[in-house]
Amino acid sequence: MNARPESAAVPGTSDFDASRRQFLKTSGGLVLGFSLFGPLAAMAEQPATRIPASPSGAAQAFPAVDPARLDAWLAIHPDNTATLFTGKVEQGNGSPNALAQIAAEELDFPFDRLYVVMGTTTSTVDQGPTYGSMAVRYAGPQIRHAAAAGRQVLLSMASKRLRVPVEQLTVRDGVVSVGGDSGHGDKSRSITYGELVDGKRLDMTIGATGKTFDMKVAPDARPKDPSKYTIVGTSVPRKDIPGKVTGEFTYVHDVKVPNMLHGRVVRPYGIGSDLLEVDESGLRDIPGFVAVVRQRNFLGVVAETEWGAIKAAEKLGSKRVRKGPADGQAKWSDWRGLPAADALWDTLRHASGKDTTVAKRGNVDAALRGAAKTLKATYCTPFETHGSIGPELAIADVGKGYAKFWAGTQMPHQARRDMAELLDLPVENVVVNWVEASGQYGRNGLEPVMADAAIMSRAVGRPVRVQWMRWDSHGWDPKEPPIVQDLEGALDHAGNVVAWRHHMWVPTYSDTRLLASELIGKPVGQIHLGDAAIQYEYEFDHADVVSHGEGRVGLITSWMRAPGQFETTYAMEAFVDELAAAARQDPLAFRLKYLKEPRAIAVLKAAARQYGWESRPAFRGKQSGRLATGRGIAWVNRDGSRVATIADVVVDRDTGGIRVKRVVVAHDCGLVVSPDGLRNQIEGNIIQSISRTLHEEIAFDRAHVTSRDWASYPILRFNEIPDSIEMVFVNDSAEYPSNGGGEPSTCPTAAVISNAVYDATGIRLRQKPFRPERVKAALAHA
Amino acid sequence: MPGTIHLKVNGKQHAVEAEPDTMLLYVLRDQLGLHGPKFGCGLSQCGACTVHLDGAAVRSCVLPAAAAEGRAITTLEGLGSVDKPGPLQQAFIDEQAVQCGYCINGMIMTAQAFLDAHPNPSRDDIKQALDNNLCRCGTHMRIVRAVERAAKHWKHAP
Repeated sequence: MNARPESAAVPGTSDFDASRRQFLKTSGGLVLGFSLFGPLAAMAEQPATRIPASPSGAAQAFPAVDPARLDAWLAIHPDNTATLFTGKVEQGNGSPNALAQIAAEELDFPFDRLYVVMGTTTSTVDQGPTYGSMAVRYAGPQIRHAAAAGRQVLLSMASKRLRVPVEQLTVRDGVVSVGGDSGHGDKSRSITYGELVDGKRLDMTIGATGKTFDMKVAPDARPKDPSKYTIVGTSVPRKDIPGKVTGEFTYVHDVKVPNMLHGRVVRPYGIGSDLLEVDESGLRDIPGFVAVVRQRNFLGVVAETEWGAIKAAEKLGSKRVRKGPADGQAKWSDWRGLPAADALWDTLRHASGKDTTVAKRGNVDAALRGAAKTLKATYCTPFETHGSIGPELAIADVGKGYAKFWAGTQMPHQARRDMAELLDLPVENVVVNWVEASGQYGRNGLEPVMADAAIMSRAVGRPVRVQWMRWDSHGWDPKEPPIVQDLEGALDHAGNVVAWRHHMWVPTYSDTRLLASELIGKPVGQIHLGDAAIQYEYEFDHADVVSHGEGRVGLITSWMRAPGQFETTYAMEAFVDELAAAARQDPLAFRLKYLKEPRAIAVLKAAARQYGWESRPAFRGKQSGRLATGRGIAWVNRDGSRVATIADVVVDRDTGGIRVKRVVVAHDCGLVVSPDGLRNQIEGNIIQSISRTLHEEIAFDRAHVTSRDWASYPILRFNEIPDSIEMVFVNDSAEYPSNGGGEPSTCPTAAVISNAVYDATGIRLRQKPFRPERVKAALAHA
Repeated sequence: MPGTIHLKVNGKQHAVEAEPDTMLLYVLRDQLGLHGPKFGCGLSQCGACTVHLDGAAVRSCVLPAAAAEGRAITTLEGLGSVDKPGPLQQAFIDEQAVQCGYCINGMIMTAQAFLDAHPNPSRDDIKQALDNNLCRCGTHMRIVRAVERAAKHWKHAP
């Protein structure tokens, strides 16, 4: 979060209160016009801060923010700094920069004086969760309109003050002046926004209709002509980085609230085990030990110190490797209901669900029968974990008639509703103070851990900070689902594709059940069915693309960076490559033959140009020597953002190791708001998706996840990173509204690497991850 | 049973009450309020908790606090501040080498100890030095560039 220097302390804490007092001292007049729960007040003084740490027993209300008011979005301070309030949150993507750039642009306000307050439910509008590469795409226009409305309000205030019509006023860097005259301090000719607002709230109505992503804010505002942009489209330094590289930044992991205890969870031995018995002997000998919290199958410990909680949890069975359901002082039933690992793909094929037809054209069966050449392949992709470097954490303070949270959730407003349901509280009595957490790449455990903390706090009547241990995170965070995909294609004598079939079995990736809620027998959240996570764009004469959406298969699975589409793009783009190779055609030209969409064609061509692509079919024959090199290409359309990626790989025939050496990405997400931020995101997507492709797979036995640390779930290391990641932005212009950049460049990577390995060696890798032993085995059979 | 542990952190002496087997990480974070070092795995696998002990990079999540008595402990806070960042910290700012930033403590503490001992490293040396530190956001390219940028400072230092 781009916290104001004065309010670097955390919402809802006494430090925050103290810094707010300091802020008042240094910026007199701010108190004027405060409403109790207005966002400006909330920015400087969370309502929660006024609540005594020891619960009084009375119900407490934490009202939501009204999006139709200007002060829901914006505050101008006497020192001519400003605060943007947004319900979107930072997850490591740098989105505060992009959103603040949009606001600063419309306000004609200097970016470095604009700070962002995010997420906290009493301070911000519910703009929907921060996921799906949708922050800039959906929240961007909302903020643009709110800020444009703000500029109109400020100009009309200035018009009155300077006694000239609005048309004669200009604004530069938050200073309004007559006819562009900076005034040189002449107060009759110019005035700052800060002086105009004079510490008051901007409590005007700007209007808003609809909800979350679909909300339209300030419909009458007239945003700036994009050709006049001076802030959008520039790279500005992130305000959080100096704090993050010096230890001064406050993550949710660093928050302390008065009277706080430390909690740790003790998860069941098996996913579906029942808790049979808890032997509490010896726990009281642990210094600081407070209590065991047991509710049906939920088990946790609470202590005065973190170390005390860790030791108590370990005694009960919380550890990296658990030998059996009675390993530890808590005894669990011997549940073994997970599919055998090698039966996973069959299990997926036979799970019940609902079919969605993605494409249906011509008669695939007839075309297959009449074809010169037919191909069939199956692609398999495993469970994966988010693996945030900082395990999930939340603080809850649950009393009679209220619940307060400090959490890094990607959906504070939805989490507020979920916590209210879990605790049987009216939603008004719940507040989520949002504080940034370790990076998240979708729905990891940051919502489930709130439920853990809530249950423990309710049980002991004090605030409880719960941090998962590494094995809790790897073992129990919501996973990316495994997917199995069958493909069939056919060519005529001239090497044209005459048939295409792609059937995929996709378990849910939107299972939002809170683990602890299931363990206590009061489920909160929905399981849903897997969606068709594919954008099929090829124009083959006969096509049959069907997604079989399923419910939960074995483990709780939720969205993880380009959920489902990372996997479907792998299968589709690798199988297209198989057909191109079978036709002995250049894989780029082969794709272009069947694509009509201009933006798809543009990214493929831009990537090829940057790379220096020479037309030739893949796999020129076996290379001599231990190392074989190859190139691969693939592309995606993810929700309107198009990305084409080309990479060079080196395959070590002796070890089976794959190194990705050079990566070229052509990226079209329309107008780029924050170029360096987007580059940072693309680099992150590429590195993380190389990691997912080469290394990542959740291992499990019949009872539970067994890859519960970084040794058993390896990710990409420094020695394995590419030599270069080159990026080209396509259609970076105002004609193309800004689209998402947080996920799309993840999608092509697995196909690119698989295709490049084929080019190098002639082997086709159809199952992720491409670990050395799997590659070696494939090479041995080639 | 808790006892008094004497720790010298960032040049300052502290006496803390803690069980002798408490890992140094929790004493630094919870008792001394130093949030540079982070809990990542508790298994010495990821590096988020890295501090310096007599100038060497160590994993504070597996180092009992009592074992650090009488040694000079340096945390990320000891290398500089927002107002006056150290040269390596400044290089991370210049390269914008952060996404979520949770791993960055480990990157900087590991690289700082490495540069102190190897002031003129190659890019491969830097990658090797950081190979046991994990980053999940995929900021590796920038982290390497930041360390390369800072290395120039070490090279020119007297």
